[in-house]
Amino acid sequence: MLFSSISFLYFFIPAMLILYFAVPFKLKNTVLLAFSLFFYAWGGVTYALFMVIAILLGYIFGLLIEKFRGKKNAKLFVSLGVATIISFMLYFKYTDFFIDNFNKVTGLSVPLQKIVLPIGISFYTFQIISYVVDVYRGEKAQKNPINLAAYVAMFPQLIAGPIVRYCDVARELETRTHSITEAGEGTRRFILGLAKKVLIANSMYDLSELMYAADEKTVLLYWLYGISTSLYIYFDFSGYSDMAIGLGKIFGFHFLENFNYPFISRSATEFWRRWHMSLGSWFRDYLYIPLGGNRVPKWRWFINIFAVWLFTGFWHGAAWNFILWGLFFGVLLVIEKFWLLKYLEKSQVFSRIYILLAVIVSFIVFQIPTLGEAFTYIGGLFGAGGISFASAETLYYLRSYAVLLIAALVGSTPLIKKLAIRFSQSEKSAKVSNVLEVIMLVVLLVVVTAFLVDSSSNPFLYFRF
Amino acid sequence: MSTKSKNIVVCVSMAIIVFGFCVLFLLLPKGAFLDSERREPARFPALTLESVMKDGLEYGDSFMKQFDDNYTPDNFPFREAFRKIKSWVGANVFLQKDKDGVYVVDGVAAEMQETIDESSIAHAADRITFVYEQYLKDKGIKPYISIIPDKGYWLSEQNGYLSMDYDVFIEKMLDSVDFAEYINIKDSLEAGDYYKSDTHWNQEYLLDIAKLLVDGMGGDHNSVYVKNELDVPFYGVYAGRAPKPLASETITYYTNENMANVTVFNYEKNRPGAIYDMELAHGKDAYDMFLGGEVSKLTIENPNAKTDKELVIFRDSFGRSIIPLLIDDYAKITVVDTRYQVPQILLMGVDFEKADVLFLYSTIVLNASAEMK
Repeated sequence: MLFSSISFLYFFIPAMLILYFAVPFKLKNTVLLAFSLFFYAWGGVTYALFMVIAILLGYIFGLLIEKFRGKKNAKLFVSLGVATIISFMLYFKYTDFFIDNFNKVTGLSVPLQKIVLPIGISFYTFQIISYVVDVYRGEKAQKNPINLAAYVAMFPQLIAGPIVRYCDVARELETRTHSITEAGEGTRRFILGLAKKVLIANSMYDLSELMYAADEKTVLLYWLYGISTSLYIYFDFSGYSDMAIGLGKIFGFHFLENFNYPFISRSATEFWRRWHMSLGSWFRDYLYIPLGGNRVPKWRWFINIFAVWLFTGFWHGAAWNFILWGLFFGVLLVIEKFWLLKYLEKSQVFSRIYILLAVIVSFIVFQIPTLGEAFTYIGGLFGAGGISFASAETLYYLRSYAVLLIAALVGSTPLIKKLAIRFSQSEKSAKVSNVLEVIMLVVLLVVVTAFLVDSSSNPFLYFRF
Repeated sequence: MSTKSKNIVVCVSMAIIVFGFCVLFLLLPKGAFLDSERREPARFPALTLESVMKDGLEYGDSFMKQFDDNYTPDNFPFREAFRKIKSWVGANVFLQKDKDGVYVVDGVAAEMQETIDESSIAHAADRITFVYEQYLKDKGIKPYISIIPDKGYWLSEQNGYLSMDYDVFIEKMLDSVDFAEYINIKDSLEAGDYYKSDTHWNQEYLLDIAKLLVDGMGGDHNSVYVKNELDVPFYGVYAGRAPKPLASETITYYTNENMANVTVFNYEKNRPGAIYDMELAHGKDAYDMFLGGEVSKLTIENPNAKTDKELVIFRDSFGRSIIPLLIDDYAKITVVDTRYQVPQILLMGVDFEKADVLFLYSTIVLNASAEMK
């Protein structure tokens, strides 16, 4: 089920709210789990069964690790647990990728398995791994399977993150409070995220598709494609994270932030401190540091960095363009660490141009599955092939999407947030601002509903994740 | 308003909206027909074990997918008002020039046709050539061709919308069927000759076009008609898609004494038909009243025709509204639409010997001609 659907907003949410707040606290996780499983099964019943099996395995391995804590077997069980859980993801997500490449290398024709990827498998796999490893590192194992299942399957973050680590919500699974303040803030965050997804991300997706389909390619078209694609991915992903964080708050959970205006970064290093933060920190804590981090010889450090970025890319999808996308950032980060970063930190203009260009190039690679075509698009940004600068078609769509593009560009910076804070500094203006905020949220929900009722496109970015 | 009050008001107002529409959805009767979209809303999908268990590659047919994508949006309370809100926001807030390619200029809606599809022209030409070579060439019959531009010819480029070069399009088409004699009606048409909310031209303004066609084929068209108005409002195909609200229109149609005496036969239904089908006039698309809607083959026999000539006309939906104006000039008109049936079947029993043959197609169909058989 998608957050950006009538079914979710007007059927799932009311039913969930009524039942969740009607039952006593000890049953809240059960209700949360039941609705989360229903939410997930709505996208494919059999996949929900696979997820339940993965959760059960995580639960059993957690208990075994705790039972043998401090003994050799604990290490065995954590390794076995991680390997077992990852094998699920490997099977569903990467089987055909490996077969396809095996066929290309050997010239054989091993038939592809045509396995359809269960939605969100990359997110819940990482959450189960984080649970198993956290227990190994000293966190108490969850005795109540419902609580563990509620953590892994929790619908707000199940299909598009953020990747919530067990240690961050372990306490809230046992005891948490609900308040009208939290519910109000959560609702506000949810609606803003929903508007980001439905109004901005979907429009940017439409623009990028129009540019992709256009017959006459021009320099301006390639730029519009790169910019709209980058904005689409950002607003879609951060919108989903906002919705997850908002829903979490309504139900008493506090998920960590996942995006922090990444497009205002001045280096790739900073970009990844602001982009999909939960994934970055997951790889840091569960892969980079266990590999030795930077406390190893330089050649090992290189390997560690590239291993992290190889897997970061591969995590996003089983295709070479995702691997290249990850390695591209790996290369940038290494260059920055050894040479460029000190210059970027001193620069106000060049650093921003550099990172925005890098991000646009990276998202072209991310979005276009064939590398040859992706390189054509990247070359097109600089006029490769002697193409003209603009055509009537590109100028038309630039004009038609100008307001949305400006809104998206401004919305990807903290400008509006800063203005809102400045406006509401005095007590009087804060009161006015509160009234305006309520009106804005109501209007946004109505407009979003209108866009969903008369929906022509509602892309789901995460089907490959 | 204090921050605490704000949070309370946010929760309460959102709850009212979410729970309110949930209850309304469950309680309100579902509409039988979506007027502005001219279609029935999706019905509640089949809830069976099989439809629920579909996933993977079959998920598109599952109960859940149908429920999400079709049933709930189609039956949402006040759907039409929400659609208007979306259109209004798109046009007035986002300042988008079109909505999915449809735009409105001075209350007239049109759709952008920005690309000449060369392969489509080639396919259409191939299909026309097939008819010519199989049925006409050996008999020495020279067919006529006439091309109807869509409204974009007059509206797109002039108002800053994307537009193909219609003159080039027509030239390419004519070059591909150079065995046919061209009757130029484009220069006698204008945007006002079309319905404001629909793709089609309006019979009310086609009298001069009918004369151009008949005279172009060697006839002498001088019929007199009585003007009639349909008693139901007409919402064209753009009414539900345009970025701005469109007013309803009135369908005007011409009749005369000869029309009352003609015999129309619908080969698809194997029964008599009508020039103006009043049952269809009151249906989901009033334009279907002209010659009974999309029918692959009709014959119209006129015992009181001015001549004993026959006409075989290959047409798309535009043809339906002008053919009634050609009746006086032909003893028999055979109307075929090769989008629905192969010509080998449609042309069985057709006598071309004393017939004019006209290919009358719109640029819309010629530029997306895959259905032409």
